[in-house]
Amino acid sequence: MNVSHLVAAAGLTILMAGPAMAARDYISIVGSSTVYPFATVVAEQYGKSSGAKTPKIESTGTGGGFKLFCGGVGVDHPDISNASRAIKESEMKACADNGVKEIVEVKIGYDGIVLANAKAAPEFKVSRKDIFLALAKEVPDPKDPAKLIANPYKTWKEINAELPDSKIEVLGPPPTSGTRDAFVELVMEVGAEKIDSLKAMKKADAKAFAKVFQTIREDGAYVEAGENDNLIVQKLQANPKAMGIFGFSFLDQNADVIKGSVIDGKGPSYEAIADGSYPVSRPLFFYVKKAHVEVIPGIKGFLAEFTNDKAWGKDGYLADKGLIAMPDAERKQMAEVVSKLTPMAMK
Amino acid sequence: MNDNGTNTAMNASPNLLAPASDLKRRYRTDKWFQRIGLGAIALSLAFIALLFFHIVREGHSAFVRANIMLDIDFAEKHFVKENLAAADYTALVKQALTEAFPEVVDRRDKRQLFSLLSSGAAYQLRDMVLANPRLIGTRQQVWLPADDDVDMLQKGKIDRNLPEENRRINDRQLSWLDTLASQGRLETQFNTAFFTGGDSREPELAGVLGAVKGTMLTLAITLMLSFPVGVAAAIYLEEFAPQNRWTDLIEVNINNLAAVPSIIFGLLGLAVFINFFGLPRSTPIVGGLVLALLTLPTIIIAGRAALKSVPPSIREAALGIGASKMQTVVHHVLPLALPGMLTGTIIGMAHALGETAPLLMIGMVAFIADVPGSIGDPAAVLPVQIYLWADSPERGFTEKTSAAIIILLAFLMTMNSLAIYLRKRFEIKW
Amino acid sequence: MTEQTFPLYGGKAASLQERLGDASPQERKTVGTPFVEEPRMTCRDVDVFYGGKQAISKVSIDIGRNQVLAMIGPSGCGKSTFLRCLNRMNDTVGACRVEGEIRLDGIDIYDPSVDVVPLRARVGMVFQKPNPFPKSIYDNVAYGPRIHGLTKDKNELDEIVETSLHKAGLWEEVKDRLREPGTGLSGGQQQRLCIARAIAVSPEVILMDEPCSALDPIATAKVEELIAELRTQYSIVIVTHAMQQASRVSQRTAYFHLGDLIEVGPTERIFTNPRHKLTEDYITGRFG
Repeated sequence: MNVSHLVAAAGLTILMAGPAMAARDYISIVGSSTVYPFATVVAEQYGKSSGAKTPKIESTGTGGGFKLFCGGVGVDHPDISNASRAIKESEMKACADNGVKEIVEVKIGYDGIVLANAKAAPEFKVSRKDIFLALAKEVPDPKDPAKLIANPYKTWKEINAELPDSKIEVLGPPPTSGTRDAFVELVMEVGAEKIDSLKAMKKADAKAFAKVFQTIREDGAYVEAGENDNLIVQKLQANPKAMGIFGFSFLDQNADVIKGSVIDGKGPSYEAIADGSYPVSRPLFFYVKKAHVEVIPGIKGFLAEFTNDKAWGKDGYLADKGLIAMPDAERKQMAEVVSKLTPMAMK
Repeated sequence: MNDNGTNTAMNASPNLLAPASDLKRRYRTDKWFQRIGLGAIALSLAFIALLFFHIVREGHSAFVRANIMLDIDFAEKHFVKENLAAADYTALVKQALTEAFPEVVDRRDKRQLFSLLSSGAAYQLRDMVLANPRLIGTRQQVWLPADDDVDMLQKGKIDRNLPEENRRINDRQLSWLDTLASQGRLETQFNTAFFTGGDSREPELAGVLGAVKGTMLTLAITLMLSFPVGVAAAIYLEEFAPQNRWTDLIEVNINNLAAVPSIIFGLLGLAVFINFFGLPRSTPIVGGLVLALLTLPTIIIAGRAALKSVPPSIREAALGIGASKMQTVVHHVLPLALPGMLTGTIIGMAHALGETAPLLMIGMVAFIADVPGSIGDPAAVLPVQIYLWADSPERGFTEKTSAAIIILLAFLMTMNSLAIYLRKRFEIKW
Repeated sequence: MTEQTFPLYGGKAASLQERLGDASPQERKTVGTPFVEEPRMTCRDVDVFYGGKQAISKVSIDIGRNQVLAMIGPSGCGKSTFLRCLNRMNDTVGACRVEGEIRLDGIDIYDPSVDVVPLRARVGMVFQKPNPFPKSIYDNVAYGPRIHGLTKDKNELDEIVETSLHKAGLWEEVKDRLREPGTGLSGGQQQRLCIARAIAVSPEVILMDEPCSALDPIATAKVEELIAELRTQYSIVIVTHAMQQASRVSQRTAYFHLGDLIEVGPTERIFTNPRHKLTEDYITGRFG
């Protein structure tokens, strides 16, 4: 065993790594785990058809993505950040502070959040108010609506006589997830506003109201199932009484074993999300650092691939993966933004 | 003392033929203890067997893939001499499918027909032509990868008896597939792509080579750094360092370091290697450095234990004929301690092999389709690949996940066998 | 047990310090003839401390040329400790401190400018438990000459190995299996291999720390024979528990008791006519 040889070899390897650091010949993308499945497909298609290196995509979450993206300009920082929500003002400021002045915002389509259960279970037709009452930690007392009490509902029937008499058991994402943020904003908040006493509360004390709709019950009716949506799908199959909350693409891929609930009269179909009639949907974005476009090879090609109708169009391959395409006019407008690389207005 | 002893012996000399009852009780305790031990072993073996059985049952189908044979007409009109890669290979696939099912004319139906084949089919044809341009102008029967839905159907993971609207494959597609199958044009064949391809978002095209290579590069860096450094540190601390408060402090800290959650090492790697030294994110060099930090305490602790177990008589013998301290260690102590050190190193490496948390912080949890060529290229490692596949919506990735776990286990077993082999080779009996 | 051990001190077990405090200077003074003419090694007023404890106090003795000095005494009397001072093996024990003067051919071996490596080549050592290296018989013997660079080529090395094994009386037994591991030999053979290993570097003094305590009577007899032969070329210091052994192999005997050198003299005289009461008690089997 010659120790000194090993040490020498290790040293040599580190030295050899030097040249590889100087430049970057691949696109670096970070951001939302919701956009990740779509961005990766585009990246792969781009890599295969162009023969260039396939972009590297990290699933960091929207917030984590912006943190890296806004870290500065240069090869050490990512070129593109995916987001399941629009960039926040504070993030834009952080970008600007670090010299990231010109950002191109690209909306790529919509994503629906579904409440689903096993195919074998009865179909649910719920309102967002029902979901709020089922999942909020504190709800108005049915006897005295001005008073908040710990959530007393054990079964769906107790909330709404038309719902099945089964135990409330919902598997959903943890607070770190973008899906959870969207769910709280699109379902819990709207559901809470449907209740008169809470509506009054919102006017009087917006903060207290926010606390009510943001706090999910912790008595076992809501189970945080981690970021792994596949796991939720499998658990739903095993337990027909349970409901699950996840992105539309998982419903789309597993339509033979699970089904989506009707929310406020609309089922989660591709069409309903695309035309906006399904209430729980959100736009998805990615953000491009304009300063990198001319420096890192392939960004333009990647953008062209993404905004091609064969990718993000109604019949494109992203639709196969569960992305809800934008209407033609919106898509056309976005494609123009991309081809001209029009930066968004920095606030 | 003496008097007492004799008396006792005379009063109650044990009867050899009929032992006292408390003796029986003692034997019973022995037996119970043995049974409990055996039970514990049986239980853990059963769990391991269950794990293996489950993973193999889930994952074995990933080693085969549904392929469809088509008559591809590499007609010259499709190709421009200068740029063979630019030809429209998708058109070749579509044309072949249209020829196979001339009755399908409606645009919508055609779309469904074309969706039976993987998007990778066109790239396979392109690679064929690039490798052998003489194909142009010929007509070839080519096995092309089917779409992952077809693959799942072939493997029985999509139930064809379900109502049509609940299937990702509709009745028309089913009938086309049946036609292909009856012509011997639809078969499940060994899935070479799984072993030769990088990651892909199409389950039928996804392979582990990128992750395997990334793992090898990363672990190579880890081994090259942590083994010599760890062994040197262990030797210094055990053989040379004076016994004082500083070395005690160092020892306590090394032991603590071994218990630090691995993600902390990831944060450290992010702050030091990426932000300070400017090494590129997501690369085996950074991953290897971080994992080297992670494995160092294990190697140092195991190395010290191995050095401690070398009998002091060997050191005395060497010192006694005038070997210097260094000669004593290098000629006599180290060869005897090496098997133990190797075991510790392999345990450390196996630990490193299974890590994802620290790699998350340095950007190695990422979609990386290209197989890495060097330690400066972005790369994924096997556990990260498993994690990413487990989180993918497509059904086909479920079996891929288990298959990747099988590969990871195979990797682990290879490493362990290597360790046993090395240990046997270096082991010196006396 | 303990009550029998120290009949001289009021039937009470006493620590070394205690007794040193109580005892009169006369009692601590070595009786007999500790010094010889033309000594190989001279020790004067040697004190050894382990941490705060004194293990050896004020030992003065000479080691003569071409003779065997046996050191006897009850367990824990410090004879092994003293032996290990003679080639500075105690250096490896961090807490051990040696005071006084030990000279080899006139040079103080504890002088800061003295290097232990050549010292140990000149003062070899054989240990209680046979400890051959887990290497071949040949390599065991050749190791010392190799690290000290005593040979120019392979032939010379072969010669040294053969001579050393001859001297150790092992050549005939192992000449056909020099490449086999030394650890495969019997206990007695292993100990003779260790002696061969020690003499391969041509030392002047050989220290033996109870070399036969792990051996059977036949192997012991062979090693004793060997010691008698080796005396013609080397100075030998042997620590032993067996008084018969001391009387058989040595010319001079030193009796240690609780860190003190009590009596030194020609072996025959010590065993027939001990002058100190403690020596007499020990060799007549009153304690030990």
